[in-house]
Amino acid sequence: MVKSVLSSAIKEYLLAFADDEHLMGQQHTEWIGIAPFLEEDMAFASIGQDELGHASMLYAFILEGSPEIDAFIFNRKPEEWRSCQLVESNHQNWEEALIRHWCYDMAEDLRWELFRESSLPELVLISERALKEEKYHRRHADALVENLLTVSASKSRLMQALEKIVPEVLELFSSIPGETEAISSGLVSGKYCDKLPTWRSRVENRFGTLDPKLFTTSDYQARTKRHLDFAPLYGRIREVFLLDPKAVW
Amino acid sequence: MRIYEVFLKADGKEEFRHAGSIEAPTDELALVLARENYTRRAEGTHMWVVDRENICVSEEGFIDANLNKSHRHNDGERVAEWRKSQRNKKSNG
Repeated sequence: MVKSVLSSAIKEYLLAFADDEHLMGQQHTEWIGIAPFLEEDMAFASIGQDELGHASMLYAFILEGSPEIDAFIFNRKPEEWRSCQLVESNHQNWEEALIRHWCYDMAEDLRWELFRESSLPELVLISERALKEEKYHRRHADALVENLLTVSASKSRLMQALEKIVPEVLELFSSIPGETEAISSGLVSGKYCDKLPTWRSRVENRFGTLDPKLFTTSDYQARTKRHLDFAPLYGRIREVFLLDPKAVW
Repeated sequence: MRIYEVFLKADGKEEFRHAGSIEAPTDELALVLARENYTRRAEGTHMWVVDRENICVSEEGFIDANLNKSHRHNDGERVAEWRKSQRNKKSNG
């Protein structure tokens, strides 16, 4: 690819997606060995690896063929990240991790859909690859949730987790830097927050009607302020890289 | 939780083969969990998951070898020997 085809606003826009995918993948894979049963343990980490794969495709695209992808990801200052609070927060309860998986994956395909007719053909291909996997992520999350909602003790835990997670999802939809230019240049077909009603109806179809107040929180951090859980998370991500930053993997 | 047996079929004329088993509460979860546990490295193009309860199992001894019918266990060695001797006879004579 020719250098610097992408403007800095477009890069910011894509970086927000890549960082979300990266941290979501990281969070899921951290359940390896401790998820509630063996099959789920493997499945959850495997889905996390799919998200890491999506992040990797986006980072490679943003860096336009540069071989310095690892250095770019692992040497960034916290304020240079564009991830949202939803993927930075560390949910140590299984019900919260599961609800976040459900909520994130019910939102993720709506985000990839925006790239379906992108002016950049490579992004169309990346989105098609991701959407193919996302279909199974949603089935996985929804099958587990559907089953757990039939048990009253599980249901009340899930509903509590949902009330905690929904406000974080609103920020995922609403504060993406570079979005105006991404739309005007034809990179994406529209605003992500226009998909929020679709997401909300998915939520309410599965969990029943929720308190409307949950959907009106507007304390957005605009993806520039890091969640308190980011620093330890970033530490875990960089642990091996920092052993020898010049190593070629 | 129920136990499901997982079968995978590689592309082409390969037959379905047993890949392992999986614990899941419903058919749908068995499918999605088997997908993540057994097919992450392109092990197959088709998958069956079968609730173990639905497998008809023969009782012990049902298929033991029938020891008094040695002709069913012919490995072809004696026939091959006979044919070889016939060939040799022809070429020598």
